[in-house]
Amino acid sequence: MPERHAPLLALEGIDLGHGDQVVLPRLSLTLRPGERVALLGPSGAGKSTLLAALRARLGDDVAWCPQHHGLVPGLAVYHNIYMGRLAEHSALANLWNLVRPLREPWREIAELCEQLGIAELMRRPVGRLSGGQRQRTAIGRALYQRRRLFLGDEPVASVDPHQALRLLSLIDAQHDTCVIALHQRELALSHFDRVWGLRDGRLVLDAPADELSLDDLDALYPDAETPVRSDQQETPATRPLPCYRGRV
Amino acid sequence: MSSSATPPARPRWLTGNALGPRLARHTLTLVALALLLLPLADLSVITREPWTELARMVQGLAWPAWGAVESPFHALGLTIAVALWGTLAGVVLGFPLALLFARSRLVRAGCAFLRAIHELFWALLFLQVFGLSALTALAALAIPYAGIFAKVYAEILEQTPRAPGDALPPGVGRLVRFAYTELPLAWPRLAAYTRYRFECGLRASVLLGFVGLPTLGFQLETAFREGRYHEAGALLWLFYLLIASLPWWSHRRLLPVLAIGGALLLGPWPSVDGALLWRFVSQDIWPRPLLEGDWPGLVTWLTRIPDLAPAIGNTLLLGLLGTVGSLLVALVMWPWASRHFGNRVSRLASKGLLVLLRSTPELMLAFIFLLLLGPSMLPAWLALALHNGALIAFLIARHADSLTPGMANLPASGRLAYELLPRLYPSLLALLYYRAEVILRETAILGMLGVATLGYYIDENFQYLMFDIACFLLLVTAALNIAVDALSRRFRPKEAPLDVPGMDA
Repeated sequence: MPERHAPLLALEGIDLGHGDQVVLPRLSLTLRPGERVALLGPSGAGKSTLLAALRARLGDDVAWCPQHHGLVPGLAVYHNIYMGRLAEHSALANLWNLVRPLREPWREIAELCEQLGIAELMRRPVGRLSGGQRQRTAIGRALYQRRRLFLGDEPVASVDPHQALRLLSLIDAQHDTCVIALHQRELALSHFDRVWGLRDGRLVLDAPADELSLDDLDALYPDAETPVRSDQQETPATRPLPCYRGRV
Repeated sequence: MSSSATPPARPRWLTGNALGPRLARHTLTLVALALLLLPLADLSVITREPWTELARMVQGLAWPAWGAVESPFHALGLTIAVALWGTLAGVVLGFPLALLFARSRLVRAGCAFLRAIHELFWALLFLQVFGLSALTALAALAIPYAGIFAKVYAEILEQTPRAPGDALPPGVGRLVRFAYTELPLAWPRLAAYTRYRFECGLRASVLLGFVGLPTLGFQLETAFREGRYHEAGALLWLFYLLIASLPWWSHRRLLPVLAIGGALLLGPWPSVDGALLWRFVSQDIWPRPLLEGDWPGLVTWLTRIPDLAPAIGNTLLLGLLGTVGSLLVALVMWPWASRHFGNRVSRLASKGLLVLLRSTPELMLAFIFLLLLGPSMLPAWLALALHNGALIAFLIARHADSLTPGMANLPASGRLAYELLPRLYPSLLALLYYRAEVILRETAILGMLGVATLGYYIDENFQYLMFDIACFLLLVTAALNIAVDALSRRFRPKEAPLDVPGMDA
């Protein structure tokens, strides 16, 4: 493939992880401008680590949509979206905005919420939203940052396939480059230019989406290889156990 | 298929590293220690006829003499006003300290000291300077509460999830970050804790009557002491009604009205004599030989102090017995109040009993038992175990109600032993350790009723105007509390999480 643009980011044999713990050893990859990349892999393969590293390296160019959204349940949808541009206002304006929403941001965010389909929820605390509504709020916050690049850690995990498509096209409309972690394999092939596949801390797949089939993607997931036998030795639980203690 | 493997050896009693046996070993050690030291405690019943006295008290409670209570509304209003303004002042003083708490060792030590001295001792101290006035009452609540708020607020703020803060774009200032993420994330717990502390403030405000401030407790103590049980019954009911109706009258919208109304009740304010205050702070509370640099004199001064070892021993022993007693009371009582056991009537009755026991301050319970059983360690022990045990049982029962057993249709014993206790016991133990500090603090004030703990000598020395010795004993008490708190934090099982809603006692 001819290199038309200088890459936005090129990693060559870099160890990524948290503190002393290396999650992705000797990783090499290249991110080119204008590319839409789907990041696939089983839970715990290192997707979040990779995205956090990209965010740290790309700095101010990045609109960031973290896993589990990072929303503040006690604040309204409006305030949560406003937080995307907290750094661009003075402290005084930010504090006053908590008392009474500023005129200009309110108008802009109202427009954005209209597109996301949550216009009537702007004043509702995020703690009282459904999963899908929270997801859209989190995407709204990332869109409101108005950056060139979008990094999303499972931003469309808890919405239906049609909504997922609509949200992805909203993201595309505003960003020329994006890296999005997701679990929907069909979506990865139909909607993205390139697929990165992680397994056990290694990048085992890095190819244009149109050269791949669903079977190639299945190879990333260990549980997909063999039919699950219930009497097998205990496997590590992939889903969190139901939490019986009241979480705040 | 395991064909040739021998079955693993059957574990012996309470061995193994699983959480269950470990916590059980821990508990049994604690109980064994208490049993071992039990012979050292003076648990004799001294009065001849406790049952007649008890019958008279029950009669008083059953037929309260409402007409005999003198100006009940003023006493009630003052009780609320002191609690509300004391708590508010505590918040105002404590919140800034909470922000410094993690960073400054000095602040942490200072707050530990403020917390370690009970409200009533602070009241005794301020009584010498401000007299029987609202200022004494407010300071007695606000100062220890500032220390408590600082610690608890700091812990709550520290436990807010990190994710929202990490999601912020780079370059956001500290203040804005706090206002947009930490504060709204922590707000529900901060508000809940402040509300809980206000309820504690109400109890403490009543207790201030025991040192002579004209709150509800003053009339209560007089009525009990003079054997007018029908009047005491009326006052006690008044107090229970006050606590029980708290959710209605302490609504957020009503608070400003209460605050302003209360402020009018708080007067008259004392005219603070600056010279007198200065003399008290700079001279009265210090040993004279120390001020004069007279070292041999200081040694003589030290010999005048009552023998500390038995007092400290009694304080610690009562603290240990109170803690173990609370554990047993809580273990026995919580199932009765939870929705998993019994029928509607038994649940309602035991819930009522728990609310009654946890609403009554220990000092009051101890006072009643003292009238029944005579002056020994027994009334104090009963009071500590019943009050704190009921409090823990109440919270654990509420926690249990929020759980759904994974297997339906288990017999009650199976439900208790396999479904509920394994999930609840770590929290129960955590609560107990948390409470141990409070129990020790209260052990000291029970001395004011004549149990020979440190509090007995503090009270005595304040009465004889020996401020230097009283203050020295207060320092000893504070040091003891801080040491025990550190010890209990060291030995508390790490797996016991403090996450039952509303349990940050």
